[in-house]
Amino acid sequence: MEVVIASSSVADAGIGCWDLHTGAEQLRLKSCASTARGLTSVGHRFVASSQLRDPSATSGSVFYWSWDRPQVEVKSFPAEPILPLAANSEGTYIAGGSVSGEIYLWEVPTGKLLRKWHAHYRAITCLVFSDDDSLVISGSEDGSVRVWSLFMIFDDMRRQEATHLYEHSFTGHALRITDVVIGYGGSNAIIVSASEDRTCKVWSLSKGILLRNIVFPSMIYAIALDPGEHVFYAGSRDGKIYVAALNAESSSNDAYGMYIIGSLADHSKAVTCLTYSNSLNLLVSGSDDGMVRVLDPKSGNVMRMFRHSKGPINNVQIVRKQLGFNPRMVVNPQGSSRRHGSLLPPPLEKYTNSSDDDSDFRTVVSLHGTSYEPLESPHISSNAMNQQIEELQRQSSSYATEMELERLKVDSKRSMQMVEKWKQMYENLHQFCVDELLDIDQVQPTKAGFT
Amino acid sequence: MVRPKALSKKQQKKGIDFKKIKRKVGRKLPPPKNATNTEIKSKAIVLPEQSVASDRVGLAVNKKGLTLKELLQQTSHHNPKVRRDALMGIKDLFLKHPDELRLHMYAVVEKLRERIGDDDKLVREALYQLFKSVIFPSCKEGNQGPFVSLMMAYIFNAMTHLAVDVRLMAFRFLGLVVLHYPPTFLLYAEKILQNYEEILCKHQLFAQDRSKLKTALAGLMCCLSLLPCNDQEDNASEKKTTGKRLLHGFEQDVYASSSGWNTLGLEKLKGLVPVLINCLREILSVVNSLPSLEFQSFDCMLTILQSIDLAVKFFIATIDKSESDLQTTLGGATLATLDQGVASVILKRLCVLFPLNPAHHASQKDSDRYFALNVMIADIFLSCSEWISPPDDMSERFLEFVEVMLLGKISDSAKTEATVSNKHLLLPFIPKLLAQVPNNWKSRLLQAFTRAFRECNHQSSLKLAFLSIIEEIVIPGQNRIHLDVSDPELLDHQIAWVRELPALLIMLGEKHQSVTQVVLRLILRLGQSASSRPTLQGEYDNIQYPLQDFFCKCQDESSVSYGPFIRLSQDCQELAVSCLYYFSHLDSALLKAIATCYLCNDLEPSVLFRTIEVLDSAYAAGHIWISDIISFFITLLSRFKVSPDNALPVKEVEPKISNCGTLRLLTSVVCSCLLHIGDESMVLQMIEKVIIDQMFVSLQKLKPSRDNACALLRLLVTLDSKPTRLSEQTIDGLASFLALYLIDICSVVIPHISEEDDEAAVAFLDRMTHYYVLPCLFLFDRSQRLLKLVLNEMESLISGRTSLSCLKNGSHGTDHSTSVIAIVYVLQLMHKDFKIRQIQSSFKAEIECILRSLQALVESSTTLEERHKLQCAYHRVHRMLGNLQERTPCLL
Repeated sequence: MEVVIASSSVADAGIGCWDLHTGAEQLRLKSCASTARGLTSVGHRFVASSQLRDPSATSGSVFYWSWDRPQVEVKSFPAEPILPLAANSEGTYIAGGSVSGEIYLWEVPTGKLLRKWHAHYRAITCLVFSDDDSLVISGSEDGSVRVWSLFMIFDDMRRQEATHLYEHSFTGHALRITDVVIGYGGSNAIIVSASEDRTCKVWSLSKGILLRNIVFPSMIYAIALDPGEHVFYAGSRDGKIYVAALNAESSSNDAYGMYIIGSLADHSKAVTCLTYSNSLNLLVSGSDDGMVRVLDPKSGNVMRMFRHSKGPINNVQIVRKQLGFNPRMVVNPQGSSRRHGSLLPPPLEKYTNSSDDDSDFRTVVSLHGTSYEPLESPHISSNAMNQQIEELQRQSSSYATEMELERLKVDSKRSMQMVEKWKQMYENLHQFCVDELLDIDQVQPTKAGFT
Repeated sequence: MVRPKALSKKQQKKGIDFKKIKRKVGRKLPPPKNATNTEIKSKAIVLPEQSVASDRVGLAVNKKGLTLKELLQQTSHHNPKVRRDALMGIKDLFLKHPDELRLHMYAVVEKLRERIGDDDKLVREALYQLFKSVIFPSCKEGNQGPFVSLMMAYIFNAMTHLAVDVRLMAFRFLGLVVLHYPPTFLLYAEKILQNYEEILCKHQLFAQDRSKLKTALAGLMCCLSLLPCNDQEDNASEKKTTGKRLLHGFEQDVYASSSGWNTLGLEKLKGLVPVLINCLREILSVVNSLPSLEFQSFDCMLTILQSIDLAVKFFIATIDKSESDLQTTLGGATLATLDQGVASVILKRLCVLFPLNPAHHASQKDSDRYFALNVMIADIFLSCSEWISPPDDMSERFLEFVEVMLLGKISDSAKTEATVSNKHLLLPFIPKLLAQVPNNWKSRLLQAFTRAFRECNHQSSLKLAFLSIIEEIVIPGQNRIHLDVSDPELLDHQIAWVRELPALLIMLGEKHQSVTQVVLRLILRLGQSASSRPTLQGEYDNIQYPLQDFFCKCQDESSVSYGPFIRLSQDCQELAVSCLYYFSHLDSALLKAIATCYLCNDLEPSVLFRTIEVLDSAYAAGHIWISDIISFFITLLSRFKVSPDNALPVKEVEPKISNCGTLRLLTSVVCSCLLHIGDESMVLQMIEKVIIDQMFVSLQKLKPSRDNACALLRLLVTLDSKPTRLSEQTIDGLASFLALYLIDICSVVIPHISEEDDEAAVAFLDRMTHYYVLPCLFLFDRSQRLLKLVLNEMESLISGRTSLSCLKNGSHGTDHSTSVIAIVYVLQLMHKDFKIRQIQSSFKAEIECILRSLQALVESSTTLEERHKLQCAYHRVHRMLGNLQERTPCLL
């Protein structure tokens, strides 16, 4: 089930969820005043969003919601106000960009702050993970886009040797970066960045150079990439969604300028966020007037319209929600016995715990295998694993009892089978004996006859 | 003299007896009648062999009628003169028939290459010219690889020839090949360098003639400059191609950047450096014995130094690369061998020479030359100072030299081109030096740098170099050089540089836009990066005060002098506008200067809209106070001058002349900005008083501009809601203004309406009137009390209790009757609108009142014409009133 989730900067509107196929509204998650690009689904399992804070606030806040309860389930308060938030596709890491230009990287299952590094001179405005989750791309208020390799971030030796942490630093934009997307193709992908200086720039990830500069008639607030990378869609301040060419040499349109092929539906107000549904080939846009529109990018027609709030929407995401609702719930019916009844991971930590042995940050396939979908193989650090092993050893946790139960079940089943086998054997033996006796009876008369 | 005359007379007489047959010269005699016909007629002629002359038809020949084949044969003739002539002939042939060359390229080169090692000087020269002027230029495109490889074998052969001249010529040929086909060098690097080394070892060859040495060195320079050492150049070339390429297209690899470069080549290059240094010392020893430095020697020395410099830079690049690539196998080896070999040679043999000084008293020219040489040595020294670990006294000498150079050689006043270009060479080392040298030198260098930057002519390209160095130092984390940012002295100097910038901008004016652009970009980068360093951010914020003059100088009402901003190109303007975003608090004085700037009509509207966008997002980021941005917007709307002044655009005039459209667009842009700047009712409360004040100011100025008034009204309407949120006081103020405003519009429109027959024109007039009247209708719809007040006002105007003086001073002088007719027209307009008609019906009493005073006016009117007009108006109102009364019941 593909679901559109949208949030706005107004707290009372919450997070709206709509089924993309049917258009039916789902449970609305309450009290979320998200920052721009501050809404993300963590591995499709639950929703996380960073919250707008008072400018004077010293700490930020990141909230978690699970799909089936409207209330905020987990609240965490990082050391600084967090603006954009991003999770990798499996939902094992969350990255957050702060007001002062730091990037924080947390491990979701434990809530541990793994790394924190100074990324930009000014506030970070957008964060994106690459396809294979090995790169983080950040855009900032200072107009630069930087590419970070997680291998580099975690490699202490190379960190000390290197003069800079980033893989690339693109400094072509004059003003704040509003959105960044990365294309497909691994290391040979393109990165498209949009800025308030009215331009979108296409960068090459492999060569680290500017490939194309597209000047728009108005500021661009959001971009979405066509799955075939023929075009990209740019939502602008004047309410239009421009379609800009990526592959054509120069298919210019006099009406808008070089590389801009045309524009889609006119919203009355600025388009603030865009996302593309690959499975249905639909473009979803959120606008300043509080509406979420679902467009057919070929015809430009508005297919559906969802009313979210009066205030401006600043996040739209498409999430593939699992039909089994919450798999953990089914497997583990006595979940209420766990911590505060929450099925979500613990809150994110404020500071890095330096006392821990850093050398242990190896990611491994987790033991949770049975409770997640078989296709997923979430990675968690060995710390989390150690914790679990310890729990198992102590035989105290519910998970351990669960395992024990499973084992006993298998045992009893095996015993039952054994019993069945014995029974069968006994019957066979019995039959044999009976037959034997009868045979003797039959044989003896003949013998008697002969004799 | 007399006799011939008499004779001629005699002859004439004689002519009568003998008939003279006149024959024209050149005519053939007719054949005698008894001639035999010798013609042979035949159907076909078969000849055993074609004649030499006839086979040239259709073949490409040169001036002398020789074909390519013959010419090529002649090139191997034993007579040098014939050989030379053949080469000249080939050149001639190819110039005439370029196709011929393309067809036979391979064969021609195959034959011609034999002549590279020719014994005769003239032949070689002719061959060189042939290759240089014809063959290489014509085969630029296409595959040069194979025939270059054909030539190379003979070139190498000639390089080992016994005759020195032949050898030198071979080097010239090599230079030519490398120039036209750069990959050659990397393919044959090892062999080429080997040959150079050998020839340079033979000092005695060059003792007499420096030009020979120069010939050899020129080729070497050309080769070495192809070494992949300079990353900055690569970046620059990449920037140029931006935007042309396909995003996912196939791209040919840049030719053998260093893949074709093997370790053997590197070894050879290392061997070459000591040879070059020896060569230099040899020349120097000769020069020192001479009274002055002649040009040839100087040129040779400079070339040698440049070659060494290129080689050294390449070594460093390889070391850097191997370090970054983590290829310890290759990298470790090079680093070690460079340390032992080349580094010590450079240190002990070259750097000890520094500084080169004239042995005798030198002229100005000579000392300039020595200075150039010294700069080159300093360049080499500074590039490899990390590897050669020089003794302290030597580095002192170099640092002293750099300081003296920065201070512009106070001793000699003449600043020639040469010294300027020399500064370019050493400036890039400043950041590196600042990071490395001990503290006392650091402060000396900084002082010299700051002083040089201040004194440097702002138009010169040197200023650009200074700016790029400043950018490198001020903006951290761009490259591998790490300066201690917390160092207070460095910070002091950085602040001094930043303070220079706005003054520089103003000084540059609009004439040197390229430099202006660089300065603006530097300011922008500074704004982007300064936020983490409070001192610099404060300094950046302070830029805005001197920057006011950049936009607009004095903001007196009477005299405004605009700064350079409005005359800059659009790129620069955009950059300047972008800089505004990064001030942590944008001062109202600067906003005022900007607003004044935009009220001048010379600016492109697109820049104006761009500025509004940027200021709006700066506001959203909390960099501007709400009161400041509101007053900025209102100033724009109320003071924007519409030209032609206050006249109504009757026809859809060319947009260039009238900027009415710009104001309309501006209105809608400002409206949308104000809508999301905060809560609507709050914003309305803040602006309503300001708007009313503005309106009355414009009334008092006796020239109310209806376009600006309309813009302000629209702003009010956008922010207001139904029912109105405007205060009583505002409505009272608005009423009298609206009455005058409506009358003004209609009194301008009416004369046109009666004149125009054209339907399109009438429709346009309607549309335009509608544009002006629409905000009023909205206001009436939202507040009935306002309508009532306006009607009352009109009534009092008709009856003459209030004077229309303010209108009479308008551009269209109106007398009383015309304004009365205008009022009637306004009433009709309102009547046309359905919603207003409904509201009007509840104000019948007021309309009747108007009717009565109209009646009174009709009776008191003096002239017949006027009386007729007023009578018509009266009837119209009467009819309208009847209409209203009829409809009221059904509406109720």
